[in-house]
Amino acid sequence: MLLLIAPAAAVLVLFQVVPIVIGANASFRDWQLYNPKETWIGFQHYASILSDPVFLWVVLPNTFLLMFATVAISLVLGMALAHLLNWSFPGHRLVQTVILLPQMIAPVIAATSMRWTFNDQFGVVAAFLRQVGFGQMSWLAERWPSFLIVIFTDAWIWTPWFALILLAALKSLPREPFEAAQIDAAGRWRTFTHVTLPMLRPVIGVCVLIRSIDAFRTFDQVWVITGGGPARSTEVFSIYAYVETFLNLDFGRGSAAAIIGALIILVVAWLMYRTIDRLTNISR
Amino acid sequence: MTTGRRIGGYALVGAWAATLAFGAFATRANAAETLNVCHGGHPIMEASIKILEKWAKKFDVNVTSTTIAYAIFVPKITQILTTNSPQCDIVWHNDDWGQLWKQYLVTTDDVPGVADFPKPPLDAFWNDDHKLTVVPMVHTVGTFFYRTDLVPENEVPKTLDELVQVSEKLQKAGKVKWGYVGGMAMNNTWFSLWWSMWNNQCDILKPIYARTVKEWAADNWTPIIDQPCHQEIVEYWWDALHKNKISPEAMTTYGRNEANAIFEAGDAAFTVADSTFYGEFSDKNKSLVAGKVGMAKFPYGPRRQQPISWDDIWGWAVPKAVSPEHQKLAKQLLGAMLTDTDGQIGMWDATGGPPPSVKAFEVLQQKDQVFRNLQKAVFEGEHVHSAYYFTNWPQLHKAYSDVAIKALTGSREAIPQVLKDGVKTLHDVAIAQ
Repeated sequence: MLLLIAPAAAVLVLFQVVPIVIGANASFRDWQLYNPKETWIGFQHYASILSDPVFLWVVLPNTFLLMFATVAISLVLGMALAHLLNWSFPGHRLVQTVILLPQMIAPVIAATSMRWTFNDQFGVVAAFLRQVGFGQMSWLAERWPSFLIVIFTDAWIWTPWFALILLAALKSLPREPFEAAQIDAAGRWRTFTHVTLPMLRPVIGVCVLIRSIDAFRTFDQVWVITGGGPARSTEVFSIYAYVETFLNLDFGRGSAAAIIGALIILVVAWLMYRTIDRLTNISR
Repeated sequence: MTTGRRIGGYALVGAWAATLAFGAFATRANAAETLNVCHGGHPIMEASIKILEKWAKKFDVNVTSTTIAYAIFVPKITQILTTNSPQCDIVWHNDDWGQLWKQYLVTTDDVPGVADFPKPPLDAFWNDDHKLTVVPMVHTVGTFFYRTDLVPENEVPKTLDELVQVSEKLQKAGKVKWGYVGGMAMNNTWFSLWWSMWNNQCDILKPIYARTVKEWAADNWTPIIDQPCHQEIVEYWWDALHKNKISPEAMTTYGRNEANAIFEAGDAAFTVADSTFYGEFSDKNKSLVAGKVGMAKFPYGPRRQQPISWDDIWGWAVPKAVSPEHQKLAKQLLGAMLTDTDGQIGMWDATGGPPPSVKAFEVLQQKDQVFRNLQKAVFEGEHVHSAYYFTNWPQLHKAYSDVAIKALTGSREAIPQVLKDGVKTLHDVAIAQ
């Protein structure tokens, strides 16, 4: 039995465990890529990051805001799409395929096209808004408009993922509770809130948990669309760690930032898991 | 013929065959020597590699190339160098990271042609023993481009104030949407903030225009971004973006792609970009302003009497981790490239990259009008280095960009305070070595 899992275990150890251990080791050392002294400095990097006002008051709030907003929007839109696709109508298959397209595009390509879509000179959105009298819109030059574009892009990419999984869940629901609701003359909204939603709760819970962990480490969309700017105002955790590691070439500090992020998401995921577990039990 | 003689004859033929076979094998073994060139995929690098390939054939060497994305080029090559990996025999080198790699590269003073090259553009590439660690590939020069169909040569702005006046005049006449457009976001600070900062007798660190650790350390690594000369520049661009609107408000987010797209669409009268973009601006398939683009000296601010430009280089370097045989071959090839006048002129024709060969420079001065214009615009006159030669330079650049963009996207009244707050940030970044 042990031999059967050995290949998978070896891959896990080599490509997950060992790099994490090396990264953790680097986080306690003065380890710049161009001058790898690797001197042991204890928790210095951790103390420095946790007392960095940008990390505490810009990076962490942005990261959680992005996580919450994108998951919430994707879930709501995904649920709506799943219901739409659960009906039978002409061209159903075509619509189902088209809706899935954003999920098939690499995030970096989607983000690049969004950057140009919202470009103040040549972008489609800017041109439309100019036509209807809004004048020149410099979206990416300000914090909140640029952050909204990041959220919009992430939600656009991930809504199909929610839709696909929720559609599968909808199709697997038993018919009897819906027939009972119909006999009781429950309307569509009441059926949705009192029958569909409670039965979907376990699936929604798992989707939200997985997607939240993934959203916490979002990199491509933010890097391509805003680069964390203007002036670091849209910087999220992954950008912070990337800049420290690959622009400043400070592997020690970058690793410490990554470990802090991992610990934060570990706690958040554990809390979410507990909450979801409780909600799921209630729904049974 | 006796049996002995016959055997002797066979032995001789065998020996000859063996010698020939060994010789052929040895030749093949020599031919099989392969040098791997690691670079960032820029057309100039590709053109320079073509020259290397031409000479590789003559030296019986194979040249392969590995393209590494710009975003990860420095971390990847730094990792290769610090782990003594011989993956790359020749690497693209740049003044921005000249000091970062100095101890990991072989010296190049003995490469043919290097001694003839002018010294100032090489300032970033000396190691601690004052030996050179680069072979020049191309001059990199920022250039002020203007629309010849809109602005006659004698009306090209000479000062920053004139740039505003001419831009406003053209905008009011409906000839152009914007006066000036240039990159401003990180990593494009050169194309708006910096050329104007240097042209207002100003700099990031004290003393002005210094580029050595010794000079900065003597002044305790003091940023001067809160000083009047720098505040004037930030206020100049704030006005350009928000008040007189000669530039798009979103220019704080523009890289080269956005700025070039606007200029090539015919929506702006002036821009600053690397000289190598002249080819793209003049390409009828890509640019609506092809044939209508001229080059001029940078407009200067009130604190200067004449413009100042920069003349730096990209180059090739050879890692110490490479075997002595490959180091020798690499130097041979690079020397041949550097002294190949025809090859260098071909590179200029193909890419607009000013050649490092002194002879090629002289030939182009004689026969090429565009080159003469470029020479007049940037090579003549005073120069400042466009990067700051110490290891924390990338961090300093990022920190500067964040402070400047914060000032430009806030209120005008807040500019002095934002710059004042930025002084400590920049100082801390500079000394964190």
